Amino acid sequence: MTAIKITVDPLTRVEGHLKFETRIENGVVASARTSGMLFRGIEKALIGYDPRTALQLTQRVCGVCPYAHAEASALALEDAMGIRPNANGQLLRNLIVGAYQVQDCLFHFYQLSALDFIDVTAVLEYRGADPGLTAMRDWVRNETRSQRIFPAAPFLPRYKGDFLKDKEANLSAVHNYLESFTVMASLHKMVALFGGKSPHPVAIEAGGVTTRPTINNLAQYRTLLNQVERFVQSCYREDILAVAKAFPGYFKEGRGYGNFLSFPYFPDSAGKNHLFAGGATIEGRHTALDLNAITEDHTYSYYKNKSGGGIKPLGANRLEPLDWQEFQREEQLPDGKYSWSRAPRYGGKVMETGAAARVANTYHSGRNPALNHLVDQLNRDLGIGLKDYNSVLGRHLSRYITVSLLLKRLKEQVEQVQPGVLGFNEKEMPRNVKGVGITEASRGALGHWVEIDNKGLIKNYEMVMPTTWNMGPRDSSGQPGAVEKMLIGTRIADPANPLELARIVRSADPCIACSVH
Amino acid sequence: MTITLDRRKFLQRIYQVVLAAGAAPLLSFDELLAAEANPAGVGWSRPNLVWLQGAGCSGCSTSFLNVEQITILDFLTYFSRVLYHPNLSSATGEQVPQILNKLTASNKPYILVMEGAIPVAMPHACMMADRPISDWVNVLAAKASACIAVGTCAASGGVSKMAGTLTGAASLDDFLKQRGIKTPLVNLPACPMHPEHLVYTLLHFIKSKGLPELDDARRPRQFFTHSVHERCPRYPAFQARDFAQRIGEEGCLLELGCQGPVTYNDCVAIGYCGNTNNCVRAGHPCIGCAGELFPRPLLYHTHDDPKAKTGLVLKRS
Repeated sequence: MTAIKITVDPLTRVEGHLKFETRIENGVVASARTSGMLFRGIEKALIGYDPRTALQLTQRVCGVCPYAHAEASALALEDAMGIRPNANGQLLRNLIVGAYQVQDCLFHFYQLSALDFIDVTAVLEYRGADPGLTAMRDWVRNETRSQRIFPAAPFLPRYKGDFLKDKEANLSAVHNYLESFTVMASLHKMVALFGGKSPHPVAIEAGGVTTRPTINNLAQYRTLLNQVERFVQSCYREDILAVAKAFPGYFKEGRGYGNFLSFPYFPDSAGKNHLFAGGATIEGRHTALDLNAITEDHTYSYYKNKSGGGIKPLGANRLEPLDWQEFQREEQLPDGKYSWSRAPRYGGKVMETGAAARVANTYHSGRNPALNHLVDQLNRDLGIGLKDYNSVLGRHLSRYITVSLLLKRLKEQVEQVQPGVLGFNEKEMPRNVKGVGITEASRGALGHWVEIDNKGLIKNYEMVMPTTWNMGPRDSSGQPGAVEKMLIGTRIADPANPLELARIVRSADPCIACSVH
Repeated sequence: MTITLDRRKFLQRIYQVVLAAGAAPLLSFDELLAAEANPAGVGWSRPNLVWLQGAGCSGCSTSFLNVEQITILDFLTYFSRVLYHPNLSSATGEQVPQILNKLTASNKPYILVMEGAIPVAMPHACMMADRPISDWVNVLAAKASACIAVGTCAASGGVSKMAGTLTGAASLDDFLKQRGIKTPLVNLPACPMHPEHLVYTLLHFIKSKGLPELDDARRPRQFFTHSVHERCPRYPAFQARDFAQRIGEEGCLLELGCQGPVTYNDCVAIGYCGNTNNCVRAGHPCIGCAGELFPRPLLYHTHDDPKAKTGLVLKRS
């Protein structure tokens, strides 16, 4: 038996500082370790701050999904205050987070993942007149012929591998890669129209949204929304399907536990009837959500002491991080701590969260017939079943499904906003209360827990992040984390170019700044 | 070399960015055409860029992608050569340290763009390719022609250095001073950075081979001379002593915690997302995200919040 180790550090084209290591036996991954390598400690630094500060500062945990933190934090504080936004407040918040969620999904597919599947060098054979593609072609040609130190950076160097062969599909995808930057900028404008700016929309507060809707800003939103929808339903859909048809094996690769956790997401104007149902699917059985089942373990995380059975949200104050010497010592141990990320568990189980979980749980719940219809249709077209959503391409496809349904709902909700009516009610800060807020970031289930002291300041704060669920390390019982499990069993064609592994890890859309915070 | 019609159209699009960045005085369209026809003749060269992320959130990278009018790619391939960017590069795993090591060994000129702060007290709090990010910044900053600190974390520590954190996060400026590195530095604070500020700074570098005029905090005077308050659309209300008592009212937002008077930035003039909006126009008090003391422990508050009277001060490490 031949065993080798493959370490990928850093895994680029994800948010943040991600490292993973695999042990390969006879060409197949036998074990894997995923590590989040950035620690800031923002969550516990919030202790002593005014609770409203958390709405702005938890957004800064992540510059890719700040909208989800703003929403979760607002919901937690509203829960503590015992208030709900009025209809306009809820709708405007939806318009902000919905547009941002769409941007996040496009960003993940085009900027972070597409270069693992499409072949950018295909532009060299372009003969048409599209200005973007001709500019790209001339640039790549000049670069690759030049004596430059890194020709065609940042697109080269790259892992060698089995990229998309079809010339037309490649050219179309490269064209759309370029186009997607403009579409994403439009989506950020939609966020800014009501959020004030993007990233880090400022206007989401406990009690609603501070921006007053007008006929003017609603019209701008609607115009941009129509542009985005054209791109999504032609380009994004085609590219996803082209990749899905060219790489059918990736509906089998990256299989995880198949246990899915998601939170209710995207309500109507009354804060009810969510577009995506929450819940947990464990061993194929869908159950209602139980937030009390959530614990976090830090046996293999760079904090002092082993946690044993896991700690509930708000169950601990600050965990003490390892110092430099202790960190070095753990790195040398064969079974030492290896990530800043903790390991969340749901009733002790490892759960995958993200687009596939959102789609699978909503499908099982039967609460959204439009989703079931779209899933059934795609499954027929692609010859797959719901179990195949537990895969690299299943996750990519689920993001398209999320976006497609969201855009339709956004179009309905933008018409429900009443121009001129402020969607904001404020309330004084309560004392000695707790609150919880749950929502979905593009990369999965996100929860914020807040505890407020007798002076109206933050007594404790806890965030349990999607990437912590997915990218967390092993726990005290030795169960591998969700992505670690996805890697195990993967066959590697060329250990010098482990493209298969990169595709699997990127499919979970890791966000390390979030996961450790 | 003549310029084809397509190329001219392409350059017209490129020039939209120059305009949006307020850089038209630096570079006329004719100069851009001349540079295109004869790059050597006008001393035009695309600077190499290396973009590193320390203790931050990638928000400044995503903000940069919002550059108005053209795709960011046109800009990246036309005005600069991005040798490495964590979110855009195809290079993965060991290819990354190979690029960075080859670059520093080659003595080729480059600009280091730093996003995020640098955890100095806990070097292991931010690791890349098995080394603390502080090691990478040390090596790359020392050999760079210039450093650009993008965003508040890199410029003054920001959220990564907020009171209560333990990692001893340093701004790039503080880090360079600690290590005795003399490379010229520009700070572009704001959370997130305004993409126009980076475009302008790079254009200035291309044109004049140097940095724009800076203030004491090493920020370009072009953008950071005026406070948010001075240019606020609600300034007339302030002069009339008309203060909003709650969100949604027309008056000055000072009594709801607005940081505009102590925050220097041009957001009111150029807005965010192609001037789509800014915080004050969105009815929200300025949270002071470009300020050296960002984040303060009390941002937006109700006008009768007792904490607003006494203030809420937490000590930063």
